[in-house]
Amino acid sequence: MDKSEILRIVNGVFIDILDDENIVLTDETTANDVDEWDSLNHIQLVVAIERQFRIRFNSQEIQRWNNVGEMVNSISAKLN
Amino acid sequence: MQQQLGYIYDRIETLSPMHSKKLKKNMAFFDDRYLELADTFFNKYTRILQAQNKTLDYSIDCYLQMIADVNSETIEFLRTGKYTSSTFDEVNKRVYARPETMEYYMHGLIMSQFLWRHHYQMFNYFITTLPQYVNVIKHYLEVGVGHGFYLSKVLEVLNPESSITAVDISETSIALAKSFINDSRIDFILKDIFEFDNHKKYDFITLGEVLEHVEDPLKLLLKLNALLSPDGVLFFTTPTNAPAIDHIYLFNNVDEIRLLIKAAGFQIESEMAILSEDVSPEKAEKYKVAVLYGAFIKKSNPTN
Ligand SMILES: C[S@@+](CC[C@H](N)C(=O)[O-])C[C@H]1O[C@@H](n2cnc3c(N)ncnc32)[C@H](O)[C@@H]1O
Repeated sequence: MDKSEILRIVNGVFIDILDDENIVLTDETTANDVDEWDSLNHIQLVVAIERQFRIRFNSQEIQRWNNVGEMVNSISAKLN
Repeated sequence: MQQQLGYIYDRIETLSPMHSKKLKKNMAFFDDRYLELADTFFNKYTRILQAQNKTLDYSIDCYLQMIADVNSETIEFLRTGKYTSSTFDEVNKRVYARPETMEYYMHGLIMSQFLWRHHYQMFNYFITTLPQYVNVIKHYLEVGVGHGFYLSKVLEVLNPESSITAVDISETSIALAKSFINDSRIDFILKDIFEFDNHKKYDFITLGEVLEHVEDPLKLLLKLNALLSPDGVLFFTTPTNAPAIDHIYLFNNVDEIRLLIKAAGFQIESEMAILSEDVSPEKAEKYKVAVLYGAFIKKSNPTN
């Protein structure tokens, strides 16, 4: 799966969990750009993304992401 | 906003923007009473830190370390539906008997008393209800005294002649509580509560966030029932769905806690349940958001 496809799926998960149709993610998007992306929702996002892609993140990865692109890179590394 | 509180919020915003969003939501609930209590607390706490050559930055780091623990435990909980530890031995080795862990945990937890709305509201419920019982309290016991914040405020309310005992299994907790309180009236006892018995009956027992730390919470409530005088009162708090490095017993909902109260021979005098996040009840259920439950309970059959 290429990264743009991963980003598209991740975008869908964000829309679902944060309950906001208008979210458009790019690689540069951070929690500062998305109002509802707080610590509670972050955890829900992580778990939902894991289910969606059938992968598991480790805790270092989760703490390290600074933006959506880094999250997509983690997912991509696990899928390929 | 008060100086220290403002500093803490700013620093957390820099170090952990996502967590800071949660804290900011809480702010809307803070009234003058909160600001006054928080100000008094942080002044006192900062002085104690200074005496140990520490600063508020140290405590903020402790708090964020605790949050990082809670976050990774929560992810695991959502994956499996279980807490990561299930035996007392495990958490004793992992947490209570480990001063480095216990130290940041207790400093983090004491900060949360004012940074988390549900912790503050539960404390406020306790401290505004306690005076109702004060006249009959000759012997007061706190189990799992931890950082000692509750006990420090209880001292302001109890009659000066009441005897006060504080039990905790962790040396680090006892040391922190002593530095926070420093009052010769209190008898601090380093012991597992299941091994504690000094042949006294207590008129009031406080048990703050300990029930979820034991393998058999019914056994603990029965033990406290036996330690209470016939008309004695127990105040306890415990959360549902609250993964943490030292939680072993999972309450799935508040009704499970109420059933336990009954099974241990108690009846509820008053109770309070507070959601730990500012979300709708539907979302809370779907996401398994923790509820903090607290209650004042009495023996249902006060003959023993
Ligand atoms: C989460 S802290 C709660 C501190 C404080 N009471 C509060 O409400 O914030 C739990 C405390 O209970 C203590 N504890 C856990 N199991 C215990 C046991 N079996 N006997 C005595 N203390 C125990 C721990 O060492 C810790 O200090």
